[in-house]
Amino acid sequence: MTQQQTAATAARTPLAATGADPRIRVRGLGKHYGALEVFRNIDFDVGAREIVAIVGPSGCGKTTLLRCIDGLLPHDAGEIMVGNERVTEPIAGVAMVFQHFGLFPWKTVTENVAYGLRMAGAPKAEIERKVPEFIKLVGLAGFEKAYPYQMSGGMQQRCGLARALAIEPNVLLMDEPFAAVDAQTREILQFELIRIWEERPTAMIFVTHSIEEAVLLGHRVIVLKGRPSSIHEIIEIDLPNPRTRETLRLPRFAELRERVWNTLMREAREAEFILER
Amino acid sequence: MSGQSIGVASPVVAPRKAKAASGRLADTYLPRVITGVVILLAWEFIVRAFAPAYVAKPSTIVLAIPRVIVDPAFLKATGATLLAVAEGLGVTLVFGTVIGVVMGRSLSFDRAIRHYINGFNAIPMIIVLPLFSLWFGYSANTRIATIIFAAIFAIIMNVADGARTVPREYLEVARSFRATRLSTLFGLVLPASMPYLLAGIRLAAGRALIGAVVAEFFLSIGGVGYYILLNSRTYHHNEAFVGVLLLAGFGVGFELLVNWCTRYFMPWYRRGQS
Repeated sequence: MTQQQTAATAARTPLAATGADPRIRVRGLGKHYGALEVFRNIDFDVGAREIVAIVGPSGCGKTTLLRCIDGLLPHDAGEIMVGNERVTEPIAGVAMVFQHFGLFPWKTVTENVAYGLRMAGAPKAEIERKVPEFIKLVGLAGFEKAYPYQMSGGMQQRCGLARALAIEPNVLLMDEPFAAVDAQTREILQFELIRIWEERPTAMIFVTHSIEEAVLLGHRVIVLKGRPSSIHEIIEIDLPNPRTRETLRLPRFAELRERVWNTLMREAREAEFILER
Repeated sequence: MSGQSIGVASPVVAPRKAKAASGRLADTYLPRVITGVVILLAWEFIVRAFAPAYVAKPSTIVLAIPRVIVDPAFLKATGATLLAVAEGLGVTLVFGTVIGVVMGRSLSFDRAIRHYINGFNAIPMIIVLPLFSLWFGYSANTRIATIIFAAIFAIIMNVADGARTVPREYLEVARSFRATRLSTLFGLVLPASMPYLLAGIRLAAGRALIGAVVAEFFLSIGGVGYYILLNSRTYHHNEAFVGVLLLAGFGVGFELLVNWCTRYFMPWYRRGQS
Protein backbone atom coordinates (compact mmCIF):
# COMPACT_ATOMS: atom_id res chain seq x y z
CA MET A 1 0.00 0.00 0.00
CA THR A 2 1.52 3.30 -1.03
CA GLN A 3 1.20 6.53 0.88
CA GLN A 4 -0.54 8.13 -2.09
CA GLN A 5 -3.25 5.52 -2.18
CA THR A 6 -3.86 5.80 1.54
CA ALA A 7 -4.14 9.54 1.31
CA ALA A 8 -6.45 9.29 -1.69
CA THR A 9 -8.84 6.87 0.00
CA ALA A 10 -8.85 8.92 3.15
CA ALA A 11 -9.89 11.91 1.11
CA ARG A 12 -12.74 9.93 -0.42
CA THR A 13 -13.98 8.78 2.95
CA PRO A 14 -17.53 9.99 3.44
CA LEU A 15 -18.44 11.41 6.81
CA ALA A 16 -21.39 9.90 8.51
CA ALA A 17 -24.92 11.00 7.96
CA THR A 18 -26.09 10.50 11.50
CA GLY A 19 -28.11 13.60 12.05
CA ALA A 20 -27.16 16.77 13.83
CA ASP A 21 -26.10 15.30 17.16
CA PRO A 22 -23.96 12.19 16.96
CA ARG A 23 -23.17 10.38 20.23
CA ILE A 24 -19.61 9.53 19.21
CA ARG A 25 -17.44 11.77 17.04
CA VAL A 26 -14.03 10.55 15.92
CA ARG A 27 -11.90 13.13 14.11
CA GLY A 28 -8.47 12.69 12.53
CA LEU A 29 -7.64 9.87 14.90
CA GLY A 30 -4.13 8.40 14.67
CA LYS A 31 -2.20 5.90 16.76
CA HIS A 32 1.38 4.62 16.88
CA TYR A 33 2.88 1.70 18.72
CA GLY A 34 6.43 2.99 18.87
CA ALA A 35 7.61 3.27 15.27
CA LEU A 36 4.63 1.31 13.94
CA GLU A 37 1.74 3.46 12.82
CA VAL A 38 -1.45 1.50 13.40
CA PHE A 39 -4.03 3.83 11.82
CA ARG A 40 -4.37 7.44 10.77
CA ASN A 41 -6.99 9.95 9.74
CA ILE A 42 -9.92 8.04 11.17
CA ASP A 43 -13.09 10.13 10.89
CA PHE A 44 -16.56 8.86 11.65
CA ASP A 45 -19.65 9.48 13.74
CA VAL A 46 -22.04 7.17 15.50
CA GLY A 47 -25.60 8.28 16.17
CA ALA A 48 -27.28 7.89 19.54
CA ARG A 49 -29.35 4.98 18.21
CA GLU A 50 -27.07 3.51 15.65
CA ILE A 51 -24.98 0.37 15.25
CA VAL A 52 -21.76 0.87 13.35
CA ALA A 53 -19.81 -2.26 12.48
CA ILE A 54 -16.09 -2.09 11.81
CA VAL A 55 -14.46 -4.77 9.68
CA GLY A 56 -10.93 -5.07 8.40
CA PRO A 57 -8.21 -7.62 7.79
CA SER A 58 -6.61 -9.08 10.90
CA GLY A 59 -3.97 -6.82 12.35
CA CYS A 60 -5.54 -3.70 10.86
CA GLY A 61 -6.07 -2.15 14.28
CA LYS A 62 -9.84 -2.51 14.68
CA THR A 63 -9.48 -3.59 18.27
CA THR A 64 -6.88 -0.90 18.96
CA LEU A 65 -9.29 1.67 17.56
CA LEU A 66 -12.04 0.44 19.86
CA ARG A 67 -9.73 0.52 22.88
CA CYS A 68 -8.83 4.11 22.04
CA ILE A 69 -12.52 5.00 21.91
CA ASP A 70 -13.03 3.35 25.30
CA GLY A 71 -10.10 5.35 26.64
CA LEU A 72 -8.14 2.21 27.51
CA LEU A 73 -5.36 3.21 25.12
CA PRO A 74 -4.10 6.72 24.47
CA HIS A 75 -4.31 8.02 20.92
CA ASP A 76 -1.69 10.35 19.55
CA ALA A 77 -3.52 12.38 16.93
CA GLY A 78 -7.01 13.71 16.51
CA GLU A 79 -9.79 13.53 19.04
CA ILE A 80 -12.65 11.36 20.26
CA MET A 81 -15.77 12.94 21.64
CA VAL A 82 -18.48 10.98 23.41
CA GLY A 83 -21.37 13.34 23.98
CA ASN A 84 -19.63 16.49 25.14
CA GLU A 85 -16.78 14.67 26.75
CA ARG A 86 -13.36 14.32 25.19
CA VAL A 87 -12.03 10.79 25.71
CA THR A 88 -8.59 10.46 27.28
CA GLU A 89 -9.45 7.71 29.75
CA PRO A 90 -12.50 5.49 30.31
CA ILE A 91 -15.55 7.68 30.87
CA ALA A 92 -18.91 7.03 32.51
CA GLY A 93 -21.75 5.83 30.31
CA VAL A 94 -19.51 3.82 28.00
CA ALA A 95 -19.35 0.04 28.43
CA MET A 96 -17.28 -2.53 26.63
CA VAL A 97 -17.92 -6.20 25.91
CA PHE A 98 -14.69 -8.13 25.44
CA GLN A 99 -13.73 -10.95 23.13
CA HIS A 100 -12.12 -12.68 26.11
CA PHE A 101 -15.35 -12.14 28.14
CA GLY A 102 -13.28 -10.74 30.99
CA LEU A 103 -15.41 -12.38 33.68
CA PHE A 104 -13.84 -12.78 37.09
CA PRO A 105 -13.63 -16.51 37.87
CA TRP A 106 -14.11 -15.97 41.61
CA LYS A 107 -17.41 -14.17 41.12
CA THR A 108 -20.80 -15.70 40.40
CA VAL A 109 -22.99 -14.44 37.56
CA THR A 110 -24.74 -12.07 39.97
CA GLU A 111 -21.46 -10.68 41.30
CA ASN A 112 -19.96 -10.33 37.83
CA VAL A 113 -23.02 -8.48 36.52
CA ALA A 114 -22.96 -6.22 39.58
CA TYR A 115 -19.31 -5.29 39.02
CA GLY A 116 -19.85 -2.34 36.67
CA LEU A 117 -22.60 -0.91 38.88
CA ARG A 118 -20.48 -1.28 41.98
CA MET A 119 -17.55 0.47 40.33
CA ALA A 120 -19.93 3.24 39.25
CA GLY A 121 -20.84 3.68 42.92
CA ALA A 122 -24.48 2.64 42.56
CA PRO A 123 -26.34 2.28 45.88
CA LYS A 124 -26.88 -1.25 47.14
CA ALA A 125 -30.64 -1.17 46.65
CA GLU A 126 -30.23 -0.16 43.02
CA ILE A 127 -27.72 -2.96 42.40
CA GLU A 128 -30.06 -5.51 43.99
CA ARG A 129 -32.92 -4.31 41.81
CA LYS A 130 -31.05 -4.01 38.52
CA VAL A 131 -28.81 -7.05 38.50
CA PRO A 132 -31.61 -9.67 38.34
CA GLU A 133 -33.33 -7.55 35.70
CA PHE A 134 -30.31 -7.65 33.38
CA ILE A 135 -29.57 -11.29 34.11
CA LYS A 136 -33.09 -11.98 32.92
CA LEU A 137 -32.69 -9.72 29.90
CA VAL A 138 -29.73 -11.71 28.59
CA GLY A 139 -31.47 -15.01 29.31
CA LEU A 140 -29.37 -16.14 32.26
CA ALA A 141 -32.21 -16.37 34.80
CA GLY A 142 -31.68 -19.47 36.93
CA PHE A 143 -27.88 -19.23 36.67
CA GLU A 144 -27.42 -16.39 39.17
CA LYS A 145 -25.16 -18.43 41.43
CA ALA A 146 -23.14 -20.12 38.68
CA TYR A 147 -19.42 -19.44 38.34
CA PRO A 148 -17.88 -18.77 34.92
CA TYR A 149 -16.11 -22.15 34.88
CA GLN A 150 -19.50 -23.85 35.05
CA MET A 151 -20.84 -22.08 31.98
CA SER A 152 -20.39 -22.46 28.24
CA GLY A 153 -18.70 -19.71 26.25
CA GLY A 154 -22.06 -18.45 25.04
CA MET A 155 -23.39 -18.15 28.57
CA GLN A 156 -20.23 -16.44 29.70
CA GLN A 157 -20.61 -13.82 27.00
CA ARG A 158 -24.25 -13.32 27.93
CA CYS A 159 -22.94 -12.56 31.39
CA GLY A 160 -20.35 -10.16 29.95
CA LEU A 161 -23.11 -8.45 28.01
CA ALA A 162 -25.32 -8.15 31.10
CA ARG A 163 -22.43 -6.60 33.01
CA ALA A 164 -22.01 -3.96 30.31
CA LEU A 165 -25.76 -3.32 29.95
CA ALA A 166 -26.32 -3.07 33.69
CA ILE A 167 -24.63 0.32 33.94
CA GLU A 168 -27.19 1.46 31.33
CA PRO A 169 -24.56 2.91 29.04
CA ASN A 170 -25.39 5.20 26.16
CA VAL A 171 -22.41 3.81 24.26
CA LEU A 172 -21.73 0.08 23.89
CA LEU A 173 -18.39 -1.02 22.49
CA MET A 174 -18.31 -4.60 21.27
CA ASP A 175 -14.84 -6.04 20.68
CA GLU A 176 -15.37 -9.16 18.55
CA PRO A 177 -17.70 -10.35 21.29
CA PHE A 178 -18.76 -13.56 19.58
CA ALA A 179 -15.41 -14.53 18.07
CA ALA A 180 -14.63 -17.00 20.85
CA VAL A 181 -17.91 -18.95 20.75
CA ASP A 182 -18.94 -21.71 18.35
CA ALA A 183 -20.86 -20.98 15.13
CA GLN A 184 -24.35 -21.97 16.33
CA THR A 185 -24.03 -20.08 19.59
CA ARG A 186 -22.71 -17.12 17.68
CA GLU A 187 -25.80 -17.00 15.51
CA ILE A 188 -28.08 -17.25 18.52
CA LEU A 189 -26.20 -14.48 20.29
CA GLN A 190 -26.33 -12.20 17.26
CA PHE A 191 -30.12 -12.26 17.23
CA GLU A 192 -30.21 -12.00 21.02
CA LEU A 193 -28.12 -8.87 20.72
CA ILE A 194 -30.50 -7.42 18.15
CA ARG A 195 -33.47 -8.18 20.40
CA ILE A 196 -31.77 -6.56 23.39
CA TRP A 197 -30.68 -3.55 21.37
CA GLU A 198 -34.25 -3.03 20.11
CA GLU A 199 -35.38 -3.02 23.74
CA ARG A 200 -32.61 -0.66 24.83
CA PRO A 201 -31.11 1.12 21.86
CA THR A 202 -27.72 2.80 22.32
CA ALA A 203 -24.89 3.99 20.17
CA MET A 204 -22.96 0.83 19.41
CA ILE A 205 -19.65 0.11 17.72
CA PHE A 206 -19.30 -3.53 16.81
CA VAL A 207 -15.83 -4.71 15.81
CA THR A 208 -15.75 -8.03 13.99
CA HIS A 209 -13.78 -9.92 11.39
CA SER A 210 -16.95 -11.59 10.13
CA ILE A 211 -18.38 -9.78 7.11
CA GLU A 212 -21.74 -11.46 7.52
CA GLU A 213 -21.95 -10.39 11.15
CA ALA A 214 -21.03 -6.81 10.23
CA VAL A 215 -23.73 -6.61 7.54
CA LEU A 216 -26.34 -8.34 9.70
CA LEU A 217 -25.85 -6.11 12.74
CA GLY A 218 -24.55 -2.82 11.37
CA HIS A 219 -26.62 0.07 10.19
CA ARG A 220 -23.40 1.15 8.56
CA VAL A 221 -20.23 -0.84 8.00
CA ILE A 222 -16.82 0.79 8.14
CA VAL A 223 -14.10 -0.99 6.19
CA LEU A 224 -10.59 -0.37 7.47
CA LYS A 225 -7.67 -1.01 5.16
CA GLY A 226 -4.02 -0.34 4.48
CA ARG A 227 -0.87 -0.08 6.53
CA PRO A 228 -1.24 2.13 8.44
CA SER A 229 -4.92 1.53 8.09
CA SER A 230 -7.50 4.19 7.41
CA ILE A 231 -11.19 4.13 6.55
CA HIS A 232 -11.54 2.74 3.07
CA GLU A 233 -15.27 2.92 2.78
CA ILE A 234 -18.36 3.45 4.88
CA ILE A 235 -21.20 1.33 3.53
CA GLU A 236 -24.82 2.13 4.37
CA ILE A 237 -26.67 -1.08 5.16
CA ASP A 238 -30.19 -0.31 3.98
CA LEU A 239 -31.79 -3.49 5.27
CA PRO A 240 -35.14 -3.36 7.06
CA ASN A 241 -34.99 -3.14 10.86
CA PRO A 242 -35.16 -5.03 13.08
CA ARG A 243 -32.95 -7.58 11.43
CA THR A 244 -34.16 -11.15 11.76
CA ARG A 245 -33.29 -14.55 10.41
CA GLU A 246 -35.31 -13.53 7.31
CA THR A 247 -32.79 -10.76 6.70
CA LEU A 248 -30.14 -13.38 5.96
CA ARG A 249 -32.22 -14.61 3.00
CA LEU A 250 -32.81 -11.22 1.37
CA PRO A 251 -31.10 -10.66 -2.00
CA ARG A 252 -30.06 -7.22 -0.74
CA PHE A 253 -28.25 -8.87 2.18
CA ALA A 254 -26.25 -11.03 -0.22
CA GLU A 255 -25.52 -8.01 -2.37
CA LEU A 256 -24.21 -5.94 0.53
CA ARG A 257 -22.23 -8.86 1.87
CA GLU A 258 -20.59 -9.29 -1.54
CA ARG A 259 -19.81 -5.62 -1.67
CA VAL A 260 -18.07 -5.61 1.70
CA TRP A 261 -16.40 -8.89 0.82
CA ASN A 262 -14.98 -7.50 -2.41
CA THR A 263 -13.68 -4.39 -0.70
CA LEU A 264 -12.13 -6.37 2.09
CA MET A 265 -10.77 -9.34 0.19
CA ARG A 266 -8.97 -7.27 -2.39
CA GLU A 267 -7.29 -5.64 0.53
CA ALA A 268 -6.75 -8.89 2.43
CA ARG A 269 -5.10 -10.51 -0.54
CA GLU A 270 -2.72 -7.59 -0.86
CA ALA A 271 -2.07 -7.63 2.87
CA GLU A 272 -1.27 -11.31 2.86
CA PHE A 273 1.72 -10.75 0.62
CA ILE A 274 3.15 -7.73 2.37
CA LEU A 275 6.44 -8.48 4.09
CA GLU A 276 6.77 -7.36 7.69
CA ARG A 277 9.43 -4.70 7.94
CA MET B 1 -8.29 -53.54 52.49
CA SER B 2 -10.18 -50.25 52.53
CA GLY B 3 -10.05 -50.37 48.75
CA GLN B 4 -12.00 -53.61 48.85
CA SER B 5 -14.61 -52.19 51.16
CA ILE B 6 -15.14 -49.24 48.79
CA GLY B 7 -15.67 -51.73 45.97
CA VAL B 8 -18.21 -53.65 47.97
CA ALA B 9 -20.03 -50.58 49.21
CA SER B 10 -20.90 -49.22 45.76
CA PRO B 11 -20.35 -51.90 43.16
CA VAL B 12 -23.42 -50.96 41.12
CA VAL B 13 -23.10 -47.20 41.19
CA ALA B 14 -19.52 -46.84 40.13
CA PRO B 15 -17.75 -50.17 39.72
CA ARG B 16 -15.12 -48.70 37.44
CA LYS B 17 -14.44 -45.83 39.75
CA ALA B 18 -14.21 -48.18 42.72
CA LYS B 19 -11.84 -50.42 40.85
CA ALA B 20 -9.70 -47.45 39.90
CA ALA B 21 -9.73 -46.34 43.53
CA SER B 22 -8.59 -49.72 44.80
CA GLY B 23 -5.92 -49.77 42.11
CA ARG B 24 -4.74 -46.38 43.24
CA LEU B 25 -4.74 -47.56 46.84
CA ALA B 26 -2.52 -50.48 45.96
CA ASP B 27 -0.25 -48.37 43.78
CA THR B 28 0.28 -45.33 45.97
CA TYR B 29 -0.56 -46.18 49.55
CA LEU B 30 0.94 -49.66 49.76
CA PRO B 31 4.55 -48.59 49.03
CA ARG B 32 4.14 -45.72 51.48
CA VAL B 33 2.87 -48.00 54.24
CA ILE B 34 5.56 -50.59 53.62
CA THR B 35 8.30 -47.94 53.81
CA GLY B 36 6.87 -46.65 57.09
CA VAL B 37 6.65 -50.10 58.63
CA VAL B 38 10.22 -50.96 57.60
CA ILE B 39 11.58 -47.76 59.14
CA LEU B 40 9.65 -48.28 62.38
CA LEU B 41 10.72 -51.91 62.65
CA ALA B 42 14.36 -51.07 62.00
CA TRP B 43 14.22 -48.30 64.62
CA GLU B 44 12.55 -50.63 67.13
CA PHE B 45 15.07 -53.45 66.72
CA ILE B 46 18.20 -51.31 66.54
CA VAL B 47 17.24 -49.47 69.72
CA ARG B 48 16.34 -52.76 71.48
CA ALA B 49 19.61 -54.33 70.42
CA PHE B 50 22.09 -51.55 71.00
CA ALA B 51 20.67 -48.69 73.11
CA PRO B 52 19.90 -48.19 76.80
CA ALA B 53 16.31 -48.64 77.94
CA TYR B 54 15.40 -44.93 78.20
CA VAL B 55 16.03 -44.32 74.46
CA ALA B 56 12.74 -43.87 72.66
CA LYS B 57 11.49 -46.58 70.33
CA PRO B 58 8.16 -46.88 68.50
CA SER B 59 6.55 -49.32 70.91
CA THR B 60 7.24 -47.22 74.00
CA ILE B 61 6.27 -43.97 72.23
CA VAL B 62 2.88 -45.46 71.38
CA LEU B 63 2.46 -46.50 75.01
CA ALA B 64 3.36 -42.95 76.12
CA ILE B 65 0.75 -41.26 73.92
CA PRO B 66 -2.36 -41.86 76.10
CA ARG B 67 -0.46 -40.71 79.17
CA VAL B 68 0.95 -37.57 77.54
CA ILE B 69 -2.15 -36.25 75.80
CA VAL B 70 -4.02 -35.95 79.10
CA ASP B 71 -1.03 -34.42 80.88
CA PRO B 72 -1.98 -30.80 81.80
CA ALA B 73 1.58 -29.61 81.20
CA PHE B 74 1.50 -31.00 77.66
CA LEU B 75 -1.94 -29.53 76.94
CA LYS B 76 -0.86 -26.14 78.24
CA ALA B 77 2.27 -26.25 76.11
CA THR B 78 0.29 -27.22 73.03
CA GLY B 79 -2.22 -24.44 73.63
CA ALA B 80 0.51 -21.84 74.11
CA THR B 81 2.35 -22.80 70.92
CA LEU B 82 -0.79 -23.07 68.82
CA LEU B 83 -2.08 -19.73 70.06
CA ALA B 84 1.24 -18.03 69.34
CA VAL B 85 1.38 -19.54 65.85
CA ALA B 86 -2.21 -18.49 65.16
CA GLU B 87 -1.56 -14.94 66.34
CA GLY B 88 1.68 -14.68 64.44
CA LEU B 89 0.16 -16.10 61.27
CA GLY B 90 -2.79 -13.73 61.54
CA VAL B 91 -0.53 -10.68 61.71
CA THR B 92 1.66 -12.14 58.98
CA LEU B 93 -1.27 -12.78 56.68
CA VAL B 94 -2.70 -9.28 56.94
CA PHE B 95 0.56 -7.36 56.59
CA GLY B 96 2.23 -9.82 54.23
CA THR B 97 -0.74 -9.76 51.87
CA VAL B 98 -1.05 -5.99 51.82
CA ILE B 99 2.69 -5.48 51.29
CA GLY B 100 2.78 -8.24 48.67
CA VAL B 101 -0.18 -6.90 46.67
CA VAL B 102 1.20 -3.38 46.59
CA MET B 103 4.69 -4.67 45.80
CA GLY B 104 3.37 -6.72 42.89
CA ARG B 105 1.44 -3.83 41.35
CA SER B 106 3.66 -0.85 42.06
CA LEU B 107 6.97 -0.85 40.29
CA SER B 108 8.41 1.90 42.46
CA PHE B 109 7.42 0.16 45.70
CA ASP B 110 8.83 -3.08 44.34
CA ARG B 111 12.11 -1.35 43.52
CA ALA B 112 12.19 0.24 46.95
CA ILE B 113 11.83 -2.93 49.01
CA ARG B 114 12.63 -5.93 46.78
CA HIS B 115 16.26 -6.38 47.86
CA TYR B 116 15.45 -5.83 51.50
CA ILE B 117 12.72 -8.49 51.39
CA ASN B 118 15.05 -10.97 49.70
CA GLY B 119 17.81 -10.10 52.14
CA PHE B 120 15.65 -10.54 55.24
CA ASN B 121 14.25 -13.75 53.80
CA ALA B 122 17.76 -15.19 53.58
CA ILE B 123 18.59 -14.44 57.23
CA PRO B 124 18.05 -17.54 59.38
CA MET B 125 15.64 -16.85 62.24
CA ILE B 126 18.02 -18.46 64.71
CA ILE B 127 20.43 -15.57 64.02
CA VAL B 128 17.94 -12.83 64.81
CA LEU B 129 16.62 -14.54 67.94
CA PRO B 130 19.30 -13.13 70.27
CA LEU B 131 18.53 -9.65 68.95
CA PHE B 132 14.80 -10.12 69.34
CA SER B 133 15.29 -11.39 72.87
CA LEU B 134 17.18 -8.20 73.70
CA TRP B 135 14.43 -6.05 72.20
CA PHE B 136 11.40 -7.91 73.48
CA GLY B 137 12.82 -9.79 76.47
CA TYR B 138 12.64 -13.50 77.28
CA SER B 139 8.91 -13.45 76.69
CA ALA B 140 6.08 -14.55 74.46
CA ASN B 141 6.52 -11.30 72.52
CA THR B 142 9.85 -12.50 71.23
CA ARG B 143 8.21 -15.74 70.15
CA ILE B 144 5.56 -13.84 68.19
CA ALA B 145 8.22 -11.63 66.62
CA THR B 146 10.19 -14.70 65.59
CA ILE B 147 7.11 -16.33 64.10
CA ILE B 148 6.31 -13.21 62.08
CA PHE B 149 9.90 -12.84 60.94
CA ALA B 150 10.00 -16.49 59.92
CA ALA B 151 6.74 -16.44 58.01
CA ILE B 152 6.07 -13.02 56.55
CA PHE B 153 8.57 -13.02 53.70
CA ALA B 154 7.13 -16.21 52.23
CA ILE B 155 3.73 -14.51 52.07
CA ILE B 156 5.06 -11.23 50.69
CA MET B 157 7.11 -12.88 47.95
CA ASN B 158 4.35 -15.25 46.87
CA VAL B 159 1.60 -12.64 46.87
CA ALA B 160 3.84 -10.18 45.00
CA ASP B 161 4.50 -12.83 42.34
CA GLY B 162 0.77 -13.50 42.09
CA ALA B 163 -0.11 -9.81 41.89
CA ARG B 164 2.51 -9.29 39.19
CA THR B 165 1.03 -12.04 37.01
CA VAL B 166 -2.65 -11.07 37.22
CA PRO B 167 -4.08 -11.57 33.72
CA ARG B 168 -4.14 -8.32 31.77
CA GLU B 169 -7.71 -9.04 30.70
CA TYR B 170 -8.96 -8.56 34.26
CA LEU B 171 -7.10 -5.30 34.65
CA GLU B 172 -8.49 -4.09 31.36
CA VAL B 173 -12.03 -4.83 32.49
CA ALA B 174 -11.40 -2.98 35.75
CA ARG B 175 -10.08 0.09 33.91
CA SER B 176 -12.92 0.02 31.41
CA PHE B 177 -15.42 0.06 34.27
CA ARG B 178 -13.49 2.87 35.96
CA ALA B 179 -12.50 0.90 39.05
CA THR B 180 -10.50 2.85 41.61
CA ARG B 181 -6.93 1.82 42.28
CA LEU B 182 -7.80 0.56 45.74
CA SER B 183 -10.69 -1.59 44.55
CA THR B 184 -8.54 -2.98 41.75
CA LEU B 185 -5.83 -3.94 44.24
CA PHE B 186 -8.04 -5.65 46.79
CA GLY B 187 -11.13 -6.57 44.80
CA LEU B 188 -9.30 -7.92 41.77
CA VAL B 189 -5.55 -8.36 42.16
CA LEU B 190 -5.93 -10.04 45.55
CA PRO B 191 -8.53 -12.68 44.57
CA ALA B 192 -6.73 -13.27 41.29
CA SER B 193 -3.54 -13.94 43.30
CA MET B 194 -5.30 -16.40 45.60
CA PRO B 195 -3.46 -19.48 44.31
CA TYR B 196 -0.16 -17.75 45.10
CA LEU B 197 -1.42 -16.59 48.47
CA LEU B 198 -2.39 -20.18 49.33
CA ALA B 199 1.06 -21.42 48.34
CA GLY B 200 2.49 -18.68 50.54
CA ILE B 201 0.26 -19.64 53.48
CA ARG B 202 1.38 -23.28 53.25
CA LEU B 203 5.03 -22.23 53.36
CA ALA B 204 4.40 -19.62 56.04
CA ALA B 205 2.54 -22.02 58.34
CA GLY B 206 5.46 -24.46 58.36
CA ARG B 207 7.95 -21.70 58.97
CA ALA B 208 5.79 -20.15 61.69
CA LEU B 209 5.73 -23.44 63.56
CA ILE B 210 9.49 -23.81 63.27
CA GLY B 211 9.86 -20.22 64.42
CA ALA B 212 7.71 -20.86 67.48
CA VAL B 213 9.59 -24.03 68.46
CA VAL B 214 13.00 -22.48 67.91
CA ALA B 215 12.01 -19.48 70.04
CA GLU B 216 10.78 -21.78 72.81
CA PHE B 217 14.02 -23.75 72.68
CA PHE B 218 16.12 -20.64 72.85
CA LEU B 219 14.08 -18.65 75.35
CA SER B 220 12.81 -21.52 77.51
CA ILE B 221 9.25 -20.21 77.46
CA GLY B 222 6.33 -22.59 77.77
CA GLY B 223 5.26 -24.40 74.64
CA VAL B 224 5.68 -27.60 72.69
CA GLY B 225 9.29 -26.77 71.84
CA TYR B 226 10.15 -26.28 75.47
CA TYR B 227 8.18 -29.40 76.42
CA ILE B 228 10.30 -31.45 74.01
CA LEU B 229 13.50 -29.84 75.26
CA LEU B 230 12.66 -30.39 78.90
CA ASN B 231 11.62 -34.03 78.46
CA SER B 232 14.60 -35.00 76.36
CA ARG B 233 16.95 -33.43 78.92
CA THR B 234 15.30 -35.36 81.72
CA TYR B 235 15.48 -38.71 79.93
CA HIS B 236 11.78 -38.74 79.09
CA HIS B 237 12.51 -39.45 75.44
CA ASN B 238 9.17 -41.09 74.76
CA GLU B 239 7.28 -38.04 75.98
CA ALA B 240 9.53 -35.79 73.92
CA PHE B 241 8.71 -37.83 70.85
CA VAL B 242 4.98 -37.40 71.40
CA GLY B 243 5.66 -33.66 71.11
CA VAL B 244 7.54 -34.26 67.88
CA LEU B 245 4.61 -36.28 66.55
CA LEU B 246 2.30 -33.45 67.51
CA LEU B 247 4.36 -30.98 65.46
CA ALA B 248 4.20 -33.28 62.45
CA GLY B 249 0.45 -33.58 63.05
CA PHE B 250 0.16 -29.76 62.99
CA GLY B 251 1.80 -29.74 59.58
CA VAL B 252 -0.50 -32.36 58.11
CA GLY B 253 -3.57 -30.88 59.79
CA PHE B 254 -2.88 -27.39 58.52
CA GLU B 255 -2.44 -28.67 54.99
CA LEU B 256 -5.79 -30.45 55.22
CA LEU B 257 -7.40 -27.31 56.64
CA VAL B 258 -6.07 -25.17 53.79
CA ASN B 259 -7.27 -27.69 51.22
CA TRP B 260 -10.71 -27.82 52.77
CA CYS B 261 -10.97 -24.04 52.90
CA THR B 262 -9.93 -23.86 49.26
CA ARG B 263 -12.63 -26.27 48.17
CA TYR B 264 -15.27 -24.70 50.37
CA PHE B 265 -14.62 -21.00 49.90
CA MET B 266 -13.08 -21.03 46.43
CA PRO B 267 -14.93 -23.62 44.36
CA TRP B 268 -13.79 -21.82 41.20
CA TYR B 269 -10.13 -22.39 41.99
CA ARG B 270 -8.42 -25.21 39.99
CA ARG B 271 -11.54 -25.83 37.95
CA GLY B 272 -11.47 -22.25 36.75
CA GLN B 273 -7.97 -22.61 35.41
CA SER B 274 -8.90 -24.15 32.07
